[in-house]
Amino acid sequence: MRTVVLICRRLGRTLLLLALVAVGTILLMRFAPGYFSDSREMDAKYAQREQTELHQEEAKSGTFRQLAASTLGGWLHGDLGSSRQYGVSVMELVRPRLRVTAVLLVRGVVFGWLLALCTAFPLSVWRKARAVAGVPFTVLLAIPTGAMATLCLLADMGGPVLVLSLLLAARDFKFLQRLFDSAWTAPHLLQARAQGVRFDRLAAAHLLPNVTPQILGLATLSIVTALSAIVPIEVIFDVPGLGQLAWSAALNRDLPVLLTITLLMAAAVSCAGMIAPRDRMVQTA
Amino acid sequence: MKRRVAVVMLALMVVAAGVIVMLPGTSYKAQDREAIMSGATAHHWVGTDDVGRDRGVRVAAAVLLGLGGAAAAAAITTAIAAAVGAAAAFSAPGVASVLMLASDLFLSLPWLFLLMMVRSFLPLTTSPLHSAVVTFSILAALGWPACARAVYRGTLNLRSSEWMIQGRASGLRNTQLMRRHVLPHLLPLLIPQFLICVPAFIVAEANLGTLGLGIAEPLPSWGAMLLELDNSASLALSHWVYLPVVVLVMVLLLLESLTAEV
Repeated sequence: MRTVVLICRRLGRTLLLLALVAVGTILLMRFAPGYFSDSREMDAKYAQREQTELHQEEAKSGTFRQLAASTLGGWLHGDLGSSRQYGVSVMELVRPRLRVTAVLLVRGVVFGWLLALCTAFPLSVWRKARAVAGVPFTVLLAIPTGAMATLCLLADMGGPVLVLSLLLAARDFKFLQRLFDSAWTAPHLLQARAQGVRFDRLAAAHLLPNVTPQILGLATLSIVTALSAIVPIEVIFDVPGLGQLAWSAALNRDLPVLLTITLLMAAAVSCAGMIAPRDRMVQTA
Repeated sequence: MKRRVAVVMLALMVVAAGVIVMLPGTSYKAQDREAIMSGATAHHWVGTDDVGRDRGVRVAAAVLLGLGGAAAAAAITTAIAAAVGAAAAFSAPGVASVLMLASDLFLSLPWLFLLMMVRSFLPLTTSPLHSAVVTFSILAALGWPACARAVYRGTLNLRSSEWMIQGRASGLRNTQLMRRHVLPHLLPLLIPQFLICVPAFIVAEANLGTLGLGIAEPLPSWGAMLLELDNSASLALSHWVYLPVVVLVMVLLLLESLTAEV
């Protein structure tokens, strides 16, 4: 019963946050400069009177209530509204891009984690090599995503998956290293080592079960980091994904598209937060 | 020891950048039309960019602007976080829930996505100085939530400590308790938060710049200089194009070593 109440409370909080994110996005867009600019205003064939009518029409449909109602109408219609920039339904725009971004995210997170785990775990045992092996990760941590992506593009070496993997590996490597370090020095592991338990058994039966919850928390944080990084990566590599679409929608004041992507992002982050306890996420951050 | 070395190296970098910018006859926006995309010469030690501006002066100015702006934004964001976290811990549970909900609202979106979204909604065609102020103000305004949560937790722990109970029993008001007792005790939490924010904000500004949403030209910023790398023709002409990336990585490594040591 307590678990059900807890789940309901978390779900309620998530829904409230999503609603607030939607309201915030609509408000920001409503007051963004250029939101009401119409390409017809630039056209000389429209006389002053028509232009005034355009402005009046915009003023009528530009209240927060109107915007929220039209957005909600689009959502209830099932096609998530119509894109101002492309003139097609948002669903039609988002669906193929969602797949592209999901594939990029999954590959990036999996390869990044493999790289971080395969380096951090051996280094937690073989500590002499740590000073040298940790240097590339420290340097990677100091390179902004945009710069890393541009350099990879220029060198014609690797693609968006490589950049995302390197970014996540650099972020998670140190956490994992510290985690393994503290796990190896736990009293029960020291006792097991003193009793001569084999290394593979020690790792499988004593170390990994101990660190799995923390690794899970860190993995969810990686998803948030990856979601954050996909915008510059997709823009620089010209990947037709959600990050690129969001960037284009934000610059072109395309509210229906941007709202959909923002809500998708917020839902993904909230789901990640549900898997990992919030406190652990904040501590890890 | 490592921290001291990092502080000294950073200070040296800032002084050197200051000297380069202040040198008579140098300007980050002065163009030398006779030396477009030149390599290292006696006049331009590290070459010029594609409109003939001295790259050394621009990198030096970017060091000052980036560090100064990020430090100012980090100070503001840490102050906001301290205020929100402490206020939430000392207020009624309802108010605390609302304040933490507000911080969750900011945390519910990926950091760079949120920055990109908010920055793109603000005027993009403004003066360079205005764009710099807007960029760093956004960083300051959006960077506080995670820190505020940490401060909230820290303040709650302090609130239940014996000396705080003693303080309340002695008749100290909440504002007095906060100013005289809580804030000094929160400094070990706030200083690392500030130090974490500085490199994070520099990286965020650079990322915004690569998306074309950073500080406007001709003001030199990391983001604008990283955009220079997009021009593959200029890369073939001079390897000095990579200088901003190298200096940026150096600055970030030094800042991160500072953070790691605290």
